[in-house]
Amino acid sequence: MVHVADVEFERLVEDFYMPLYRFGLSLSRKESEAADLTQHTFLTWAVKGHQLRDPAKVKTWLFTTLYREFLAEKRRAAHFVETEEETEFVEPPHFSPSVANAIDANIVQKALLNLEDRYRAPVTLFYMQQHSYREIAEILEIPLGTVMSRISRGKAEMRRSLDDLTTIEARKIVSLTNEGQNG
Amino acid sequence: MDKSEIRAVLSVYRPGDPETEDPRLQQAKAAAAADPELAQWWAEHQEFDRIISSKLQSGEVPAGLRSRLSAWEKRTVQRSNWNRGFLLAAASIIALAVLFGSWRGPFQPAPSLAEYRDELVSFVKLDPPLELRSSEIVRLTEFLQKNGAPSQLDIPRGLRRLDPAGCRTLRFRGQDVALICFKREDGELVHLFAVKRGALPRLGQKRETPEFAAQGDWMTAAWGGGDYAYLVAGKGDRASLEKYFGTS
Repeated sequence: MVHVADVEFERLVEDFYMPLYRFGLSLSRKESEAADLTQHTFLTWAVKGHQLRDPAKVKTWLFTTLYREFLAEKRRAAHFVETEEETEFVEPPHFSPSVANAIDANIVQKALLNLEDRYRAPVTLFYMQQHSYREIAEILEIPLGTVMSRISRGKAEMRRSLDDLTTIEARKIVSLTNEGQNG
Repeated sequence: MDKSEIRAVLSVYRPGDPETEDPRLQQAKAAAAADPELAQWWAEHQEFDRIISSKLQSGEVPAGLRSRLSAWEKRTVQRSNWNRGFLLAAASIIALAVLFGSWRGPFQPAPSLAEYRDELVSFVKLDPPLELRSSEIVRLTEFLQKNGAPSQLDIPRGLRRLDPAGCRTLRFRGQDVALICFKREDGELVHLFAVKRGALPRLGQKRETPEFAAQGDWMTAAWGGGDYAYLVAGKGDRASLEKYFGTS
């Protein structure tokens, strides 16, 4: 039987350091903190990884560890405690794929970082396309229905934010063009 | 379900995810299959998600992060030869070390100047994201102080003549590092890092004059001053940095 401790550390780092960093960035909104969270996650794995019995759970374990570290470090757990169960989905506003395709990746990142804390983490994990809904629920330690609801609401919110940001960018371009023509 | 509800339900549908095979989602999927308008909406929704996913996954990851983690990889290979009881005891020590901010990595000697230089230079080879953009050095040092990074800096006279672009904080093996970027005359940036001397004990207590070292097409200069170890890095040859120290 393959023991989890035998999972090659180097391969784990190679496979997960980038998605872990991006998840850390979406939580902390700071590159330096995201790097520290990633580093801490692998440090914890080096020390405690052998306790994990099921190799299939390694990915979820790493993301859960990073998320817990973020909560512990920031002492912001209270911000993530929901007093009300959310189970409803919302219809997202329309956003043309061709417009989305033309948006700069930095603006997409900004729209993600603009989301409320409770939406940002599940939406980030959703867009990573590496985790099932059940895995996202395990990582964030919230009910499955809440995960799906937050993703629905978070995606809708992100579209609104993207719409605002692209409008602002478009105005800047128009303004610069006008200045160029007038000057 | 009306069309708005169907769109709401479809917005969380993920093909292949077992959790989205429940009756409500299947009903919404069937409705979309029977209604060209809904089918079009859903196709566009999935395309939008695919684009956003791709853009988010193209986000830059600091170049130095992989090399920082590599340092651990080399050491953790030895782990399988250690018994688990010892590891548990080590874990307690490490946890305390992390808590008290003195962590330098598992069984890891103090980092060398070369490791420090390689990691930080790799971080700034692409213009680094700055946490504060300002051309006022006072504002930058205030920001660094507020964020727990070295801030009482003795900046070489030649660098002080340049306009700062901004600053940020970094972490290196558990230590706070201050980074101030200056605008060079040719439009490129030159970067000044400062960390507590204790982070680089091998730098030597007496090295007050800069030690120059090339890294690819970049040049670096490292020295100690007061409580801090300094590193300046910029694209170019030795002469391109020496002028900031008044040695050429």
